[in-house]
Amino acid sequence: MFRNLQVLSQIGAFAARKIGIFPSQILRPFTLSSVNRLKEIHEKREGNNLTIEGVYVDLPKSNVILEKSFNNKGVCSICALGVEVKHTDVLILSQFVRPDGLMLPRRITGLCRKQQKRIGTMVTMAHKAGLMSNLNPTYSKKDPEKRGQWKKFKSYFDESTIGKRKPPKPEWKWIWKKRNFYEKV
Amino acid sequence: MSAVKRVQQWASFARVWHLFDARWQNPFDSGVLIAKYLKGLYKPLYGAQSLCGDHVVVINCRHVALPGNEWRKRVYFHHATYPGSQTWTPAWEMHTRNPVMVMKKAVYTSMHGNLQRRHTMMRLHLFADEEIDPEIAPRISNVIKQIRPVPERLDLMPEEKVKSFPQIADLDKDYVIPELKEYPNWESKFRKMKKEGKKK
Repeated sequence: MFRNLQVLSQIGAFAARKIGIFPSQILRPFTLSSVNRLKEIHEKREGNNLTIEGVYVDLPKSNVILEKSFNNKGVCSICALGVEVKHTDVLILSQFVRPDGLMLPRRITGLCRKQQKRIGTMVTMAHKAGLMSNLNPTYSKKDPEKRGQWKKFKSYFDESTIGKRKPPKPEWKWIWKKRNFYEKV
Repeated sequence: MSAVKRVQQWASFARVWHLFDARWQNPFDSGVLIAKYLKGLYKPLYGAQSLCGDHVVVINCRHVALPGNEWRKRVYFHHATYPGSQTWTPAWEMHTRNPVMVMKKAVYTSMHGNLQRRHTMMRLHLFADEEIDPEIAPRISNVIKQIRPVPERLDLMPEEKVKSFPQIADLDKDYVIPELKEYPNWESKFRKMKKEGKKK
């Protein structure tokens, strides 16, 4: 539902710009079905009849929901919080992750592009540091100290390096130095 | 000299025993901190000639943490003066051989290479795990504060803490929760290679 709301709001904002209406008049929360639910697929077999139905299930923690991150207008849940998330905040990161530890895509998480990239890299950081070892495929050993070689030792990461690339080294030319020298003289 | 002054001098020149927990700490940052206590630089009566250095006991040296990919990239060089005898050992290999060596070298390199360095290093007591020598344990009277906060692992957290933490992610409602796949015939690549090698 929230996904649809976001799309509608984007279209609405675009239309508003053309017509000249203030966008806050269009961006109002409305719901057509029950909110904050997930789907689960059930199969029933009665003789030769097979019925498959998608049932909506409550979120794992539907009783404890941070309303600040849910009731927002066109802002993603982490931007609305205004909290700087670190790779050691495993309780937040584990909510954006599949049960086998992989990051969920953006159409499901509903995050903005910047936060999706940020959280995706922080999930890998947390996995490398061995902080979310229970969220792993079934064949993994789960205990980070049973890993091989350097992977079994503890390591930590710097969040300011996310999305940054090392600037290339400028090629040193002896001509530059000589030219400057003559110019000064 | 009066009796009070004499006791004051004993107290000021007595060696204090400090404890430092190296769990999840960067050895190179904590080496600088430990060297300060080893030399007694924090004391107002410090002088290079006065013997006012303290003892430092470091525990959990095995659980030291390095930033990023430094376990692979950091290299320890050794040369036994014979031609061709130079070796470059990566930090993770050094740590598997001797869990204390990385911490020891970090403290050693944080000090200047003067004649006093070997003697100050004698006041450093390193232990790989939490267990301390029973002779040393009762002497400890101070704990040095850790530099980095120790992160908590999700699998070791109490269940109440995980459940009481609020839901932040509002996931798409049409997202189908996948079941965990089971791989009955799965075997690691290296184990397979080992088996095949034995057959041949």
